[in-house]
Amino acid sequence: MRILIVEDDAETSEYISSSLNALGHTYEVASDGKQAFLQALDSDFDVMIVDRMLPKLDGLALVKSIRSADVKTPIIFLSAMNGLHDRIDGLEAGADDYLVKPFAFSELSARLMALTRRPPMQSEPTMIKVADLEVNLIAHTVTRAGQEIPVQPREYRLLVHLMRNEGRVVTRTMLLEAVWDFHFDPKTNVVETHISRLRQKIDKPFVKDLIHTVRGFGYSLHA
Amino acid sequence: MKIPWSGFRSTSTKLSLQFALLYSVLVALMFLGAYRLSIYEIRDRTFDRMRADAETLTGVYANHGADRLTEHVKALQTVNFENSRIFLLLDQNDRTVSGNILEMDPAAVTGDDVQFIPVNDIEIDGDHEDEVNGYWLAQTRIGPFQFIQGTGDHVGSEVVEALAVALVIGSVMAIAAGLLAGVWVGKITEKRIVDISNTLDRVSTGDLQARIPTSDGASDDLSRVSESVNATLGRLETLLETQQQISSDIAHDLRTPLQRLRQRLERLQSQTQPDPSEAGASLVEVEDIITTFNALLRIAQVEAGDQRARFEKVDLDTVAETVFEAFEPSAENQSQTLRLTRSPSTAMVLGDRALLLQLASNLIENALRHCPEGTTIDVTVDASDGHATLTVSDNGPGIPIEDCERVFRRFYRGDKSRSSAGHGLGLAMVSAIATLHEAEVSLSDNEPGLTVGITFRGLKVD
Repeated sequence: MRILIVEDDAETSEYISSSLNALGHTYEVASDGKQAFLQALDSDFDVMIVDRMLPKLDGLALVKSIRSADVKTPIIFLSAMNGLHDRIDGLEAGADDYLVKPFAFSELSARLMALTRRPPMQSEPTMIKVADLEVNLIAHTVTRAGQEIPVQPREYRLLVHLMRNEGRVVTRTMLLEAVWDFHFDPKTNVVETHISRLRQKIDKPFVKDLIHTVRGFGYSLHA
Repeated sequence: MKIPWSGFRSTSTKLSLQFALLYSVLVALMFLGAYRLSIYEIRDRTFDRMRADAETLTGVYANHGADRLTEHVKALQTVNFENSRIFLLLDQNDRTVSGNILEMDPAAVTGDDVQFIPVNDIEIDGDHEDEVNGYWLAQTRIGPFQFIQGTGDHVGSEVVEALAVALVIGSVMAIAAGLLAGVWVGKITEKRIVDISNTLDRVSTGDLQARIPTSDGASDDLSRVSESVNATLGRLETLLETQQQISSDIAHDLRTPLQRLRQRLERLQSQTQPDPSEAGASLVEVEDIITTFNALLRIAQVEAGDQRARFEKVDLDTVAETVFEAFEPSAENQSQTLRLTRSPSTAMVLGDRALLLQLASNLIENALRHCPEGTTIDVTVDASDGHATLTVSDNGPGIPIEDCERVFRRFYRGDKSRSSAGHGLGLAMVSAIATLHEAEVSLSDNEPGLTVGITFRGLKVD
């Protein structure tokens, strides 16, 4: 992937770029908003990482400018601000995701993957299928190996989210946000207990496990 | 810096003195006008009376003849007091028929107008009144007679003098009263301003508890200023306390994990072959620090209250349901029962959905964590009495009454040691979110167990 990193702190920028490089991605770095805007218009990136506080043109204004220039590249905001509405402000400006500093690189890379995977869907599919596991998005039914499996509403949402990110790692935080709309960190193992229940239903009775734990990282659903 | 009473230099005293001066000038002018007007008025009345007497005499002569006229003029002289009025009745040969004017310059009175004659130019039967300066003379023709009458100017002067004395005394008193009132009002206002400035001085030197003395019931501008300054000081004090609380909280809860992190990093630094598990443990430590840090910051932000602007209608039932669904498996894993009772009627509140989710989560997590196996935890939403209410009650061990106040403080953990799970910030966050939503938090004994109720009383959903 080609990634634009817009970050004025040299050390953070170096940390992100070298980690991305290690995963086999290419990148360009911009250290201020104006430069970033020109680079964003100039060449094609698969995803952009934009720091919220930037010299010359701040991150929020940069994202707005990029969007009004009709560049649709996915953007993830990085911010040192933990303001309750910073996330909403960022998304309203046109960013696709939001990550608060300090963050673990694994969280950033998982979110980057999720963003770039998102296909430019014209119409929502009615079925998602991973191996012999099928979800009917209209009827809200789950079947595996032709056998219908009853699931709770939240388990359904969790499963659909994992299946849409087939083969990618989805972190615990991403699941909390996507499935429960929790933008805080519960002490209780909410995600773990639900994953465990889901496994009981869709993996345990079958030969091959589809939900995999990526230790210290999150979960991944794949054949 | 202390500001003493600044005497006549102070704004209020200066203003009141200026006002008193203006008032004095106005009073003096008014009294002078009254004095002049009175003089004219008295003179006018004197002339009117002389004219009326002349008309009466003309009537007497026409109806009863010359003898009765002479008698009347004599009568007028006898009822005359202190020779204030003088008369002269002359026949056609200019001989005196009757009168108390002995000698005068005949040229002093000509035509119909009233004329003034100085006292030296006239001699009368008897002495002139001491204070008289002269006489106002008028002449009237009655048949063959010429009737001359005069009135001493002292008649008017006495009245006017009395008036002048009254006016001067009056003005002096009015001016003095004005000045005194001015200075007094100035001093009172000044004292109150000094009160305000002294209070603010005390605040600036760090005494945030200082308040401007106010009296109940007063509603003038200074009282309102004082009250709003006091309210601002109250808010400032709370904010500062919060800030101090946060600082001490951070020191309190971050120092230990930071110390552990430091130890691990030092150990890693000294290792020739770095141990990955040591690095992993360090990362866990960092995560822990970040979590605590974020929680503290978030409480501070919620307490600052600036997200009220973004409040929207939130269905409390949906919030409770989402949180219930999230924690129900955890409860089951711990052999606890989590139950949800939805509100029979819609329970709408004005608020921040994300924060309300956190509020409900923290309450449920708190119950899950502190209750043993077999406990039933009830989550209830109700709006039957007009206020949306969220209640989380358990039949666990409960908390001692004396701890009720303290549970909402940061880092409260009951009697358990600091090694217990959780950061002790959960209920502090609940309290902050409830306050933001103007909701009441109540703790009560569930006999056995604890009931925490959040009643959304303050903000009205339209």
